[in-house]
Amino acid sequence: MKGLLLKDFYMAAKYCRSFLAIVIVFIAVTFFGDNNIFFIIYPTMVAGLLPMTLISYDERDKWDQYSGVLPYSKAQLVSAKYITGLLFGACVYLILIVVYAARMANRGTFILDELIFIGVALFVLGIVGPTLMLPFVFKYGVAKGRIAFYVLVGLFAAIGTAWMRIDVYRALSLWINERVLIAAVGAAVLLYLLSWRLSILFYKKRELN
Amino acid sequence: MNALEISNLSKTYGGFHLDNLNLTLPNGCIMGLIGENGAGKSTTIKLILDMIDRDGGDITIWGKDNRENILSLKQDIGVVLDEVGIPECLNAKQVGKIMKNTFENWSDLAYMDNLRKLSLPADKPFKEFSRGMRMKLGIAVALSHDPKLLLLDEATSGLDPVVRDEVIDMLNEFTRDESHSVLISSHIISDLEKICDYIAFLHKGKLLMCEEKDVLIEHYGLLQCSETQLAQLDPEAVKGKKISPYGVNALVRRDKVPSGWNVSPVNIEELFIFIAKETDNI
Repeated sequence: MKGLLLKDFYMAAKYCRSFLAIVIVFIAVTFFGDNNIFFIIYPTMVAGLLPMTLISYDERDKWDQYSGVLPYSKAQLVSAKYITGLLFGACVYLILIVVYAARMANRGTFILDELIFIGVALFVLGIVGPTLMLPFVFKYGVAKGRIAFYVLVGLFAAIGTAWMRIDVYRALSLWINERVLIAAVGAAVLLYLLSWRLSILFYKKRELN
Repeated sequence: MNALEISNLSKTYGGFHLDNLNLTLPNGCIMGLIGENGAGKSTTIKLILDMIDRDGGDITIWGKDNRENILSLKQDIGVVLDEVGIPECLNAKQVGKIMKNTFENWSDLAYMDNLRKLSLPADKPFKEFSRGMRMKLGIAVALSHDPKLLLLDEATSGLDPVVRDEVIDMLNEFTRDESHSVLISSHIISDLEKICDYIAFLHKGKLLMCEEKDVLIEHYGLLQCSETQLAQLDPEAVKGKKISPYGVNALVRRDKVPSGWNVSPVNIEELFIFIAKETDNI
């Protein structure tokens, strides 16, 4: 599977340069700008969608066919995308959390509970995209999988609207407690693993003609 | 031992039906798979590689069931599909690194040698390659992990005659080792005629014929005569015919034609066209 990961790394390095620029700009805005949470949510969510970008290039270049002649199982082909997504997502996620913590410290407003809350929220938002979309993409291909993307955009819009209405500190004190955060992370991880398994099952049954 | 044995293989999708295909490719031989578009050549190759599910039948590669052992078998199989699916942003050097981490027997030395033989640049992105160069890179990859079996699906199409000749030389070189075998499909039947030991005719999902090339050329011939003369022949002798205002051009079995008749040699392309058309007329 090392070969598959290397291939995805080469492709991500080539095709995701603009995303890297966005991350750098958004990090700067997060550090120096106003308290706009959008600038850390957006790169996290986009990083989570990296596997879909790579799969769409794979389909365009007929790699999905060619990979079938190589000594990789369908489970490995699927897993490579999940692992690539995790690696890139984790890098962007960690950078953003560190920057957010540095921003709070720089302004003398460091609150650990807030950092944990932001960390959990980013984790869940970063993971929800690939969790929902990848099984659709592996079952129907990228073109039809876009339907899942539109559902996801709607979901994010709803979450965004709800977020705007939440007073973070009030929420922290009232209903966001340690158990809720742990449950949210646990549910996200569980759903991600379920999505991974489901994608393998779907891809095994999919015939690429 | 046979490199490849296919028995009663069938597959249906859409309007296509691969009908109980039986093929045997002995070790050390090159078999050409000839057929029109949609005849089932690519489907057969995908079924051998277990890329698609079969409806019935069995496939063994070196005596091993292909589905049970596909990953280990693929380590010893080199494949070139009609469209080489290498990502466009990669260059040949990066492809080499990926394949080194894919095939246990990958040889950087062999790969660089193949790139050199085929005049392929190592640093140029795949998207800037012509169709011919893309096929050549596919061939270079397929030959660089010490494969024992090559499966080539239209691998020579899109190549200019000089490069096709180089590729044919490489295949000939490959099969000098008696443990190496090749299954190659191509529209360019003259290429197959040059290199193949066996020829298999696929037509509309059915295997019309599978025979040693030399036997085919020896047993069949073309007869130009009138319709009256043709009617005098044993019907078993005539395997296909084209009637025109100038007479009849017939594919005949040489052993069933009385001596004294002028039977000229037939090439594989003519043989296939006669047999396919005759099958359609039945």
